[in-house]
Amino acid sequence: MKKIEVTLKNVVNVIREFYKPKVHHFLTLNGVALDESTTEIQWIFSNYKELDHTTVFLTHVKDGDIIPSIVDIIPSAIISQREIVDMFGIKVEDSERGLYLDEDSLQKPLAYGCAL
Amino acid sequence: MSKKTINIPLGSQHISLLEPIRFKFTCENEKIVEIDSDVGFVHRGVERACSTKFKYDAIPYVVARVCGLCAITHSLSYSMAAEALIGGEISKKAQYLRVLMVELDRIHSHMLCLAHVSENAGYEAKFMQLMGDREPIMDLQEAISGNRVQFDYVSIGGVNRDISPDVVSQIKQTLKELRSKMEDYISEFESNWSLSLRFKGIGTLSKEEAYRYNAIGPLARASGLETDVRMESSLLPYDEIGFKLVTKQSGDIYARNMVRLDEIINSIEMCENIVDAMPEGEIFTKLKGKPDGEIITRLEAPRGELMYYIKGSKKPILDRVRIKTPTFSSIPAFMHVFKGQEYADAPAILASFDPCMSCTAK
Repeated sequence: MKKIEVTLKNVVNVIREFYKPKVHHFLTLNGVALDESTTEIQWIFSNYKELDHTTVFLTHVKDGDIIPSIVDIIPSAIISQREIVDMFGIKVEDSERGLYLDEDSLQKPLAYGCAL
Repeated sequence: MSKKTINIPLGSQHISLLEPIRFKFTCENEKIVEIDSDVGFVHRGVERACSTKFKYDAIPYVVARVCGLCAITHSLSYSMAAEALIGGEISKKAQYLRVLMVELDRIHSHMLCLAHVSENAGYEAKFMQLMGDREPIMDLQEAISGNRVQFDYVSIGGVNRDISPDVVSQIKQTLKELRSKMEDYISEFESNWSLSLRFKGIGTLSKEEAYRYNAIGPLARASGLETDVRMESSLLPYDEIGFKLVTKQSGDIYARNMVRLDEIINSIEMCENIVDAMPEGEIFTKLKGKPDGEIITRLEAPRGELMYYIKGSKKPILDRVRIKTPTFSSIPAFMHVFKGQEYADAPAILASFDPCMSCTAK
């Protein structure tokens, strides 16, 4: 797993430069809650026909940050972006809440310290 | 003829749907022009449970409950990730037994999908026949693992049950019978009007679109994408047992059917090769330590790529378990395919995607 650190400001440009649709396969967007106010966001890619090859772009998101959308580059990323919104309560550009969770569900269940 | 715009809901409960998903089709006369979906009817919080309630060595049994059809691929993906973080070698025999179960799972899962596609074509006799022929494969899984559906067969370090000579004979006999039946099925899906001409050119995803929407699994391979985690991951010994990549070019329902049929044949061959070349040795290795670090594992489930990300810090409870299921990442491609299709074809198109909402919402 090759990890590349990015910032919220440059992530879209970095992915735009990196991503070749016939070479790279977008796996998903992942979140890992690190502490009360910080979540690591990962954009995960593999390579078609290459053995054990994954590339992860990551950045740390603080409360109130908005993650930029990569849907212009990878349309299928919309579903992963919406999942991050529901599970971590983090805003993602162009991605609305409600993929999994209703208004009366437990909100942002994967955020750090979220109590049942 | 003037255009009339009609909104038609499909689901969340509908006779043509196996699982809860809701589509809202906007149609101009009979043609679908816009589509909206809701996939969140069965969210169970499995990821959260895995990082709060259960110790790392119990999770193979927890994640098996994500899906009844591909339970084995969930337990196996997670176990391979945990084993990589703990460190240690898994015996060759355990690896072969794991692949045997995964490929038997693929056979019966593909047969279930083909049965539902047949049913949607109005060919109920074929549905019954396929479901009947699927039963012996589930019997095999029961003979190997002790259970028909929730196998709880894979654990961190290997598998929980060895294979007896009687079961090996049963596997060989069952697969031999199934192979001859599959040849008849292939011929029928190729030439029977209801199952071939009816589905040619319907629900098409072109190769370019498959790349654009990151299609995976049989959906991608039916559009000509040469992608299969079985050749992109070295975690399981697929290079030793005769794996062959299956692709078709037309990207329609017909092509998806033919990919699944050819993959069943290849899975039968691989299972036969596994039992013929079954290594000697232990089926379980006790691994010492707790997961430390982070890792991504991928495995080809019947519906496509299944990904697990786990992060641990030498504690019994993991910091994070992320499950990316095949249907979840295929939904944008599904939505794209529906546009421009006749509404009357929607149930058959959906059945040909073989969606699993239980996996998706996890």
